[in-house]
Amino acid sequence: MTSLTSAKFEAAKRAWAERRARYAAKLRPARTLSGLPLKTVYTPDDTTASDLAEMPGVYPFTRGLHPDGYALTPWMQQMVFGYGTIEETRRKMEKMVAEGMEGYFGHKVFNTVYDVPCMYGIDADHPEAVGNIGQCGVHMSTGDDYDELIRDWDLETTNFSMITGDNCLPALALLAAAVERRGEPVGKMHGNSMNWYPRIAVQDVPSWEPRWGYALMIDLIRWARANAPDWNPANIFMYGLSEAGATPVQELAYGLAWGKSIIDAGLAAGLEPDDFIGRLSFQIGCTVNVFEEVAKFRAHRRMWARLCKDAGVTKPSGMFARVHVHTSGYVLTQQQLMNNNARITLQTLAAVLGGVQSIHTCSYDEAVGVPTEQSHRTALRTQQILMWESGLRDVADPLGGSYFIEKLTDEMEAAAWEIFDEIEASGGYLRGIETGEVKRNIDNSSYEMKKMINSGDLPIVGVNRYVSQEQENYEPFRIDETIEVKARARLEAYRAKRDQAAVDAAIEDVRRACQNLKDGTGPLMPALVDAARKGVTNGEMMVPMREAFGWYVSE
Amino acid sequence: MSGEHIKVLLAKKKIDVHGRGSKLIARELRDAGMEVVYFRFGVVAEIAEAALQENADVVAVSVMTSGQLQIARDLIPALKERGMTQVLVIMGGIIPEVDFEPLRALGVHRSFPPGLPGGVVAEYIRENVGKASLV
Repeated sequence: MTSLTSAKFEAAKRAWAERRARYAAKLRPARTLSGLPLKTVYTPDDTTASDLAEMPGVYPFTRGLHPDGYALTPWMQQMVFGYGTIEETRRKMEKMVAEGMEGYFGHKVFNTVYDVPCMYGIDADHPEAVGNIGQCGVHMSTGDDYDELIRDWDLETTNFSMITGDNCLPALALLAAAVERRGEPVGKMHGNSMNWYPRIAVQDVPSWEPRWGYALMIDLIRWARANAPDWNPANIFMYGLSEAGATPVQELAYGLAWGKSIIDAGLAAGLEPDDFIGRLSFQIGCTVNVFEEVAKFRAHRRMWARLCKDAGVTKPSGMFARVHVHTSGYVLTQQQLMNNNARITLQTLAAVLGGVQSIHTCSYDEAVGVPTEQSHRTALRTQQILMWESGLRDVADPLGGSYFIEKLTDEMEAAAWEIFDEIEASGGYLRGIETGEVKRNIDNSSYEMKKMINSGDLPIVGVNRYVSQEQENYEPFRIDETIEVKARARLEAYRAKRDQAAVDAAIEDVRRACQNLKDGTGPLMPALVDAARKGVTNGEMMVPMREAFGWYVSE
Repeated sequence: MSGEHIKVLLAKKKIDVHGRGSKLIARELRDAGMEVVYFRFGVVAEIAEAALQENADVVAVSVMTSGQLQIARDLIPALKERGMTQVLVIMGGIIPEVDFEPLRALGVHRSFPPGLPGGVVAEYIRENVGKASLV
């Protein structure tokens, strides 16, 4: 700063201090959701030379992955959907395409969520599946189901993002077999495996024993690298951390530690940094706290790029933190349901200002149940209004250079590194799952936030402010219970046409391959793909897997 | 019976995800002085059996991924079969308001929307425990 502007600035600061002297002591100190203290005004004194010496598309990517932000192509609209059998979900896929849902350069993106029985790995005829089939996701377990999933879609320009649970490997094997049946090379597949094993720390679900969870994750990464190089083999589910109660800073810290744990496991298994790290990607939550979220996404890109570089990645694109945002569900309220549209708009705004690659917008009625056709479309339209009417995509990192945003980005980064370093020092994320430490800390944050909501310190409109006694009587989307009958009929018909001897032999091969993976003498994925070719279902593949890899319930 | 010891079996159904709400309510009921047995991953028969073994005064079921009506249809008879006709049964979570009345008709004494202070639930339990019957 020249001395002239510097003198002018000093004079302005004095005048500012004078004007507020009378009431300044009465101002209530504000904090971010993560508890970082906020000032009411930020100035050049809060920025550093290095904050202002960055460009989008250039390491460490604080200002974005691409030099021109969304100007070349906007973010991907990746609405989560899926219910009933593949027949219902297939109709929904076609409808979403007709509604204009698209990814980069007009590619199709299908972010398909499985029902909970599939995620657990049980088929429609399992007694525990009753009441849950096709309810909160699509039930897909057979080769026929996967043939129908990919029918007529061009594999080069279609992205299949499969929101699986423990059935992550079987689902990919079933997809690969369907691609082969269509006479196309598996290498043409585009999409994502969630590979969310480390979610066990945050969601109240049982899963594999931790060490085997990581072995399975790496097995999938290794198979994808060799067979489907454009496939994204693992997603770091930071959304799950924040939904469970992590503050934005904890979400950053634990999410990066989770990512680091995959890097470490991959390197330990003999993979080269440039071979797999660039294919890792993220799903992150986004609350209504706009500035904190923008700073979170900026800090996240910078921190991940550093971790990748330290791990030995040499290609700049291999250091990209590619982020899909799922607008946080926990901020939605069942009280005064329509208010959620305002929240979702703010969440989407924060994600776009944060420069993310892909967005799912929740529907306003998800606080009640599965969205209706109408609410789901409004959620998609919310993105499209931001994309086409708001001017938000014209300029890259429009908040870059803001004294406040730069300072908050730095502070969130520093606070997150502190937690990250602690967890690394005590053995890393995998160890944090085993000891329950990650989960305990997140649960405690959730509890602290609930206390603040109960006391009114954290205002939530309709819940602790402007409360209404009126009943809303909102009628949510209902999934016909006869879906279960249909799902069982599809399964039965599929089983009837298989060569049972070949199926039995393939299941035995899977059992052996599970043991090999445990012994470190061979992979599992090829046996699963072969089993899928022979007609083995999702639930049938999971039986030997569960026998081999245990069933672990976290604390 | 506000001064008495109250034991709550807080159950989350077997096929479910996201346990934030259920863990919060467990903690808040404990804060309110109740004994909470947190029972996860149970099918209905297991929930009823646990309620019997634990001699629970209250069975609270948390639902995230739907199926509340199905659970109620099976749970109430399962509790009655075990002779637990005095137990207070409540539900909460991602349950549409319009299901509250059908749930009541099936025998669930009260359902709660998400996001309420746990104290509201605790107060309801205190006022109604011991007075309920399963019809």
